[in-house]
Amino acid sequence: MKILVAVKRVPDPNATIKVRPDGTGIVTDNLKYVVNPFCEIAIEEALRIKENHGGAEVVLVSVGEQVCQEQLRTGLAMGADRAILVLQDGDVEPVIVARALAKLVEQEQPDIVMLGKQAIDDDSNVVGQMLAEMLGWGQGTFASEVKLSEDKSSAVVTREVDGGLEDVEMPLPAIITADLRLNEPRYASLPGIMKARKKELKEIPLGDLGIDQSVQVKVHKLSPPPERQAGKKVETVQELVDLLHTEAKVI
Amino acid sequence: MIAWSESQLMIRDAVRRFVEDEIKPNLEALEHGDMPPYDILRKMYSTFGMDQMAKAGFAKKIAAEKSGEEAQPRSNGGDPSARADQVAATIIPIIELCRYCPGMVTAMGVSVGLAAGAIQSKGTIEQKERWVPDLLTLDKIGAWAITEPDSGSDAFGGMRASARRDGDDFVLNGSKTFITNGPHADTIVFICKLEEEGVDARERRILNFVLDRGMAGLEQTPALRKMGLHSSPTGELFLSDVRCGIDRLLGGANALKATGGGRAGAKATFQTERSGVAAMALGMVEQCLELSVKYAKERVQFGRPIGDYQLIQDKLARMEVARMNLQNLVFRTIELVSQGKTMTFAEASAMKLYAARAAVEVAMEAVQVYGGNGYMSEYQVEQLARDAKVLQIYAGTDEIQIRAIAKDLLAAD
Repeated sequence: MKILVAVKRVPDPNATIKVRPDGTGIVTDNLKYVVNPFCEIAIEEALRIKENHGGAEVVLVSVGEQVCQEQLRTGLAMGADRAILVLQDGDVEPVIVARALAKLVEQEQPDIVMLGKQAIDDDSNVVGQMLAEMLGWGQGTFASEVKLSEDKSSAVVTREVDGGLEDVEMPLPAIITADLRLNEPRYASLPGIMKARKKELKEIPLGDLGIDQSVQVKVHKLSPPPERQAGKKVETVQELVDLLHTEAKVI
Repeated sequence: MIAWSESQLMIRDAVRRFVEDEIKPNLEALEHGDMPPYDILRKMYSTFGMDQMAKAGFAKKIAAEKSGEEAQPRSNGGDPSARADQVAATIIPIIELCRYCPGMVTAMGVSVGLAAGAIQSKGTIEQKERWVPDLLTLDKIGAWAITEPDSGSDAFGGMRASARRDGDDFVLNGSKTFITNGPHADTIVFICKLEEEGVDARERRILNFVLDRGMAGLEQTPALRKMGLHSSPTGELFLSDVRCGIDRLLGGANALKATGGGRAGAKATFQTERSGVAAMALGMVEQCLELSVKYAKERVQFGRPIGDYQLIQDKLARMEVARMNLQNLVFRTIELVSQGKTMTFAEASAMKLYAARAAVEVAMEAVQVYGGNGYMSEYQVEQLARDAKVLQIYAGTDEIQIRAIAKDLLAAD
């Protein structure tokens, strides 16, 4: 069994993000980068499948700049077997990531492709779905539980939907995208970290994959959320009720 | 070694995340409540595989000893950077824990470093197998008891704890104080003097016994109140006619024959302890500096952030100098150990002297940067300032370090 896991490098969700004054992007100086938290959950799930179903090869893939290897090493330290970095400078739009992954699926022939449901930087939430469409595979998105059949020919994915849970079954190979409650990712152990540097990390320039790289969506401008206005102090409850009625118009 | 490697930074980030998730939220209970540090330390050990690493290392050493070979200090013989990573993996958790909880490092260090270390360096193979594995994984907590109410720096000369021979047994008596982990210890290395007719008390043979919690005549007091290191329980031990066999005497019958072994052995233990202090100081200084820089940017007085004022800048710059020096000392320690070399006793003393003073100075200056807020427990610099002071006292006071350095300098021709 082979599981391909997509890994994205994103700014630390706990960092304070500032938009550049010209609106072309965010200020990246001294910004700390981590594995996208949903991708981390995807890696963890792949490792658990490997541990609980008699072994599997877990292969990580990232599309981006050279520095993305830091995040791949983190995944290798957690226990993944090897990694592939598809090199491309600058932002890569989701459809190109999906095409690159589709190409790698052709080469690697995995039984499952695990992804995070979305990246916490651009919140696109499309790569898994587009990849399923490109490959013609079944997809279980927003997974909060993954169960494989005894013979590993199919999977039941529990999805968190409005007002409850939905179980969907699909034959393998399939696409699964991880939601927040799927699992709690492990810390990389110290021996795991030390072993990670010896594991294979293959680099492939995006251009070598021979995929359509035409850009369909361009980011025009980023703007920070409006600054929060100072609140108002009121003297009496009556005044508060009046303001809620006349100004805030909530009652 | 001139910088942290990529793997070392990954270790740092992982441990830092653990400390921020598991220790920071419990800081109040650990420092001002009754939460002992051991469960979190055990969790850290199992989370990062430190228990398995320690077990594997121990098994290898014992196997080598049994086959009569010299134990190889580190594997990865051919790759110096892999060796450095292995050594750094033991030091980085000390640094990261000290950013929040230097007391936890003390509790951990005494158990794993001093108690297990003493048994490992002086014990017979049977004794090592009996006590060391559980200590290395923190399944059992260890204490190392040398200090007494009337003997601190003059540890051996003034020591009154005694072992009297009674047939094949020994009968132990004495009281020990300032014993880290004393209230909770399962395994205690008890250092005392053999009662010998006609031998002056100052010259008597030093013996190390291993005691288990609950032995008849052994009393472990509740934790004493102290200035800092509140997360590390410190207590007293009272022994009245504790009877034990030679199986608990470290080194067995050989310990009764060898000369000077007890003193030299304890000295080696001091050396390990002293070199660890630089890593502790680095963690505390890093945290004080980070907090101070942050506060200097945020705190506005007379219409400007206080970081604009040169008197504050002077403090920050000095903290950075201390941080750089300490980091270099830690790099040197990692480099030496990974090459299988040891530093001299005088060098370990010099390192400890500098590190302790730097930590106290930086932590006190951090309190000063924070002003009134710094004096309040709400801000962490207050705790770090109290915690730092112990570095100048335990594992040999500053004065004792100075004596060791000077003695070495003056002994040279």
